[in-house]
Amino acid sequence: MDFFSIGLGLACLSFVLGLAWRVHGRPGSRLPRPSAGHGRVNRGLAAGLADIVLLRRTLRGGKLRWAGHTLLLLGFLPLLVLHAMDGIVTRPLFSGYEPTLEPWQSARNILGLAALAGLGLLAWHRGRRLPSLSRFQDWALLGLLASILLTGFLLEAAKMSSPADFERMVADYFPEADSEEFIALQAHWARENGVRFERFLPTAQEILEQGRELHEDRCAGCHAATSTAFASRALADALPAGIVLPRTVPPIFWHLHVGLSFLALALLPWGKFLHPLASPANLLARGGRRDSGFPASALGRNLALEACTRCGQCSLHCSVSPSRRVLGNADILPMDKLADLRSWLDRSLDGAPLADLVEGSHVCTECLRCTQVCPAGIDLQDLWMSSKAALSEEGRAGVDGEIRKRSAGEWARELGSRRLGGVGSSGPGLADRAESFWGCVQCTTCTGVCPVVAVSTDPQRDLDLTPQQIMNYLRMGLKAQTLGARMVWSCTTCYKCQEHCPQGVPVADILYELRQLGAGTLRHKGKP
Amino acid sequence: MNTYDVMVIGSGFAGMAASLFAAKRGLSVAQAGGTGGIDFSTGFIDLMAVHPVAGQRVWEDPYAALAALRRDLPLHPYAHVTDDEIAAALGEFAAFLGDNGLCYTGRPGRNTLTLTSAGTVKPTYLLPCSAWGGVEALEAKAPTLLVDFHGLKGISARQIAEVRADWPELRTARVRFPGMGGELYPEHMAWSMADQARRIELAEAVRPLLGDARFVGFPAIFGMTDTMAVVRHMEELLGRRVFEIPTLPPSIAGPRLRAAFDRGLPVLGVRTYTQKLVSAAEVSDGLFHFTAGSGSTAVRIAARGAVLASGRFFGKGLKADRHAVREAVFDLPVSQPGKREDWHRAEFFDPRGHGINQAGLETDAALRPLGADGRPFHPRLHAAGAILAHQDWMRMKCGAGLAIATACKAVRDLNQNL
Amino acid sequence: MTTLHTRVLIIGAGATGAGLLRDLALRGVPALLIEQRDVNSGASGGNHGLLHSGARYVASDREAAMECREEGDILRRLAPQCIEDTGGLFVAVRGDDERYVADFPGLCAASSVPCRGLDLGTARAMEPSLSPDLVAAFAVQDGAVDPFMLSLDNIAQALSLGSSMRRNLAAQSMEVENGRIVRVLCRDITTGEDVRIEADLVLNAAGAWAARVASLAGARIGMLFSMGSLLITQDRIATRVINRLRKPSDADILVPGGTVSILGTTSIRVASPDGCRPSVAEADRIIDDARAMLPILERTRYIRAYAGVRPLVSLGPAGDDRAVSRGFALVDHAADGLENFITITGGKLTTYRLMAEKAADLACAKLGVAAPCRTRTEPLPASTLGQWTEPGKGPRTWVDSRTEDDLVLCECEMVSRGVIDSIIDESGAMRGRSMLKAIGMRSRVGKGPCQGGFCGQRVTGHLYDRGMVSGMQGLAELKTFTERRWRGFSPILWGVPLMQADLQEALYCGSMDLEFGPPPSTRDDEGACAPVAKEPA
Repeated sequence: MDFFSIGLGLACLSFVLGLAWRVHGRPGSRLPRPSAGHGRVNRGLAAGLADIVLLRRTLRGGKLRWAGHTLLLLGFLPLLVLHAMDGIVTRPLFSGYEPTLEPWQSARNILGLAALAGLGLLAWHRGRRLPSLSRFQDWALLGLLASILLTGFLLEAAKMSSPADFERMVADYFPEADSEEFIALQAHWARENGVRFERFLPTAQEILEQGRELHEDRCAGCHAATSTAFASRALADALPAGIVLPRTVPPIFWHLHVGLSFLALALLPWGKFLHPLASPANLLARGGRRDSGFPASALGRNLALEACTRCGQCSLHCSVSPSRRVLGNADILPMDKLADLRSWLDRSLDGAPLADLVEGSHVCTECLRCTQVCPAGIDLQDLWMSSKAALSEEGRAGVDGEIRKRSAGEWARELGSRRLGGVGSSGPGLADRAESFWGCVQCTTCTGVCPVVAVSTDPQRDLDLTPQQIMNYLRMGLKAQTLGARMVWSCTTCYKCQEHCPQGVPVADILYELRQLGAGTLRHKGKP
Repeated sequence: MNTYDVMVIGSGFAGMAASLFAAKRGLSVAQAGGTGGIDFSTGFIDLMAVHPVAGQRVWEDPYAALAALRRDLPLHPYAHVTDDEIAAALGEFAAFLGDNGLCYTGRPGRNTLTLTSAGTVKPTYLLPCSAWGGVEALEAKAPTLLVDFHGLKGISARQIAEVRADWPELRTARVRFPGMGGELYPEHMAWSMADQARRIELAEAVRPLLGDARFVGFPAIFGMTDTMAVVRHMEELLGRRVFEIPTLPPSIAGPRLRAAFDRGLPVLGVRTYTQKLVSAAEVSDGLFHFTAGSGSTAVRIAARGAVLASGRFFGKGLKADRHAVREAVFDLPVSQPGKREDWHRAEFFDPRGHGINQAGLETDAALRPLGADGRPFHPRLHAAGAILAHQDWMRMKCGAGLAIATACKAVRDLNQNL
Repeated sequence: MTTLHTRVLIIGAGATGAGLLRDLALRGVPALLIEQRDVNSGASGGNHGLLHSGARYVASDREAAMECREEGDILRRLAPQCIEDTGGLFVAVRGDDERYVADFPGLCAASSVPCRGLDLGTARAMEPSLSPDLVAAFAVQDGAVDPFMLSLDNIAQALSLGSSMRRNLAAQSMEVENGRIVRVLCRDITTGEDVRIEADLVLNAAGAWAARVASLAGARIGMLFSMGSLLITQDRIATRVINRLRKPSDADILVPGGTVSILGTTSIRVASPDGCRPSVAEADRIIDDARAMLPILERTRYIRAYAGVRPLVSLGPAGDDRAVSRGFALVDHAADGLENFITITGGKLTTYRLMAEKAADLACAKLGVAAPCRTRTEPLPASTLGQWTEPGKGPRTWVDSRTEDDLVLCECEMVSRGVIDSIIDESGAMRGRSMLKAIGMRSRVGKGPCQGGFCGQRVTGHLYDRGMVSGMQGLAELKTFTERRWRGFSPILWGVPLMQADLQEALYCGSMDLEFGPPPSTRDDEGACAPVAKEPA
């Protein structure tokens, strides 16, 4: 058993076991099962395909990331199929295929460079826009792919520069060569193809001519000029003059290149490494939908859980991201929350991280933005709504649940003094500033347009107070009475109230501020 | 940045009408304005009914009232538009609303007395078709059932019946609105009436109360975008004529109008910036440059001409501090009473109306507001609607008509100068 | 014509009349209290609601200062539900009279009015709205008092002890026989019904109208009238009462109470206590003056203005034995040949109890009742009648203990239909016409930013629903209520309040045509006016 077989075998084993675990291993029962007839896989096949092939959703998230992904895919996929699997794909398909012939040689360089450029764009994008959201595995994936590509180029460069490989090839394919012929061929290859030899080689025209003829006769059938492998050749030429590669170098690069590739295969089912498979599968399942299909089917949910590319779009667009800054809980943002949700489903989350997940789960306003922007088409809304229910069922109702256990009046007694506050404009928040409410003319527009009030069958029973009433309480300095109002905790931050207010009262901003304040107060009291 | 032919500042009746008329005349139009204008409309399109206000004379023929008005008050903005122009503008406006799902009706050349949520009757010129049954019932004093709802504040059927002592066969009933409890809001009820099942439940709740009633009146909650379909369905279900009474603004009437314009104006190519007040304007290179909205969502808009239809105080077209009234966008001179003492009268309901309500922009005959030198501030800046001086739309009952007529006139004259 | 019999008739349901009703009831003398309009519709409702520490009078009137301190302490102890013990500051800003500032602590000590000097940083930390130009600050024991709750609680206890009250009943004439008033003829101003009242003793507590009431019996009291205007801000502005540390003058007190602050006052000599109303010029003068102390007053949103008329009693030569104190006047009309007629007027809200005590002492002496005054020691029970005047009570009750089917009719102040129903039910015999205004007086309806624009119509609808009004009467009452609010609203119409008024007129006139139809149910001459709890400047 050689390195290649053992490596390939282990990599395949890891891939198969990992995939099996990813597909079957997760106890999906922890999320409430969708009732029959609701869960469905969408049939918008064409839309799903278009999302996959054209990376349409990725484009909506920004041109840079789309360009990076497109270059990476356009470069890496052909390399994977035509180069890495040339023995089973390219050679049977194309008679006379030799990796050292044109167009393969230049194509490989173009594709490799395209993929590297794509990786570069992605790394730049991540470094610039998502530094705080990125984890080790994000950089590890980029680094691994880049390493495979770079070792490929280095391997090719080393091979073309290495005298040892030249000598092995001559020994294999031109064993009858005499020393004059050998020298002439050496001279030609050194001059035309960049091989570095230890000894001085003649430069006389006739010897070079002889070398060229011998090359045409014996080598050219399998070897295009190495200059067509322009990138690798440039690397080889960059070696300072007079340096000759030791014989050990090409095998080192080979082992690195092949070993890293096996590593990638082995890691594919693990973490975000699966996303090249899982994301397209999920996009296909979603069939072009951007809204939520809550409740999703069990298959849809499992796909959704695996499809995250950790691109950070959801977290960048999250409507409660200010809470993250205030509460310092990473699980308030969707990307990290999804990772911890997976851990929780795997029953490997407990203690403080679980408390973070619960808090994050309940700070979420279910505004749908993350679902709309996800390039992998993950129905995050469905995951949030089902996991919130599941967490509550296990007694982890979070601040939200704590709040709902008591009435607004009980909370008022618990949280605040009975004193009327609202003095001047000295408070720290919008809710404390008298100016916030100067404009209100009591027209009830904010309440009239509120979708939360609209869907409640009895606003005072379900919500305690309407948006306008909350504004009036705050105007009167009765903040404690509003913190426990279920309206505050049911607000979806859709901003209709604020946008429709004829007088510019920041209704939604204030409701949101109250929610953070309530969460902070409860946390301070160690309640949830 | 695109350059538009016309920038319409304001999104009340006058702003909407100016955008409509300009787009129909082939001009490229941008429109920006906050909420607060059309959202607070009752849905009635008044033309002209009371003159002189101090004498509280109510006219049945609005055009006769207009003639008297032009004779007695030559500075009134209506003096700059002819009857034919007004009739044409109203016709075009109502047709547009009809095309966008809002049916309007009235009697040509005659004001109609219609029921309000307070139980009073008011003269208006065009009214939503969904309210017309109420006009017929009122005129015939027909046996009628007025229904109101538990939890819907600000409209009491019993109040209307008490105030309408001249209508003995007006009965009332209070029912629970199906599927909702607690406090009710017209917009939510209207959306829920899109569901046919709701209508059936409501009809079932009302049917036992019908008695000999030939008409059944409800607070205005019958749907947002398909009101007449809901009314007809209710009539079918109840076997009676059904009509709506507008509730205390902000009622459903405003959002219905807004929805109609939101649907119809973009089709005509109008670029609308909703919920964005125009906060600044400058003129350079013969172009207007406007800033609409504020903060990170502010947009810049360039236009060759502009119609200032920004309304009065509630609409934010005029603003007042303790000392004076100012125009909000261009800081144009505002005709106004000399001292704050003269802004308001001692009694709120003083039939003469308050001095401040006659404040506003002075214009030339082409409705171009005058600058400090008494000449038009800009050759292609026109004004329309409530911001104009020397009118009191609330007391004269001329709000929507004045807005529509002056918008039409402003657009026509602007078009000649572009 | 109805004839009512009572041992004692009290005319005027301000704080003094209400206090007198209770004082007598506690001595075992139930009385009948009549009021031409409603509780506190004169100066008792038209003042700052300031519970004086006395510090304001240390320079001008030591006796009044000490009286205020004593009575303030009694009220804090016995009627805590009506008092917000805010504490107070006296502050001077650059340009104020430095000598007055320097003398102030000594004068306070001389009147035993507690006063503590503050360094400026502490004062500004206590009240961040204070001007950066502050030059001196002292802490005193001022407080805020809810005059409506105070009067209603006094009346409620008296009613429970067998007294009675009629509102909307104006004394029209008095029949005098043999040096005694034997009959008072009254008219219900809402229904026009005439009522004859026969009483052993008539107590005139009509405040600024005292001279007019006295003249019905042929007695003469020399009175002058000084009108003072005040402004209400939408926000509380300050935690404590803030006084300008200078010789008492215009616009030098801000009293925070509940959710708002009250700023005033001015002083204008008027010919009659009727029909007084705040003006644009006075609103401007108040702001122009007071902003030196609190700069935010230039920018803040105002809710309304109101005015009261202070009765100035000219009591003849100093040392006259009828003058109990320079703060108030107790007149035994025996000197005018009227044995059973007493007038009590003038004074300050803070000393209402003392005034009632002195008047009741005199009354009991005339009646031959020996029972001593109990109001100095007996707590004033909180009543259900007065509870809804408290800002914050409505909203707290709403989140705390609303009933299932209730609705909020006044959104600004969160007054629910249930609260309004309870006020209607509590009013009992005091019910009757002008229900909307009565509800406004007994609750926060119409007192918020909308000034009745929305709640007026909603409550009117509810009154129709309950059958409390019929025909055009509800609309007429709505118009009266609106005109009443308008008096205070119109002087502050710029900025947002002007938008609010613009919207209200669009609703009332633009869409409901309420300028047509029935005239307001009662005309405008009913005042809000009478003595303000402030020494005439």
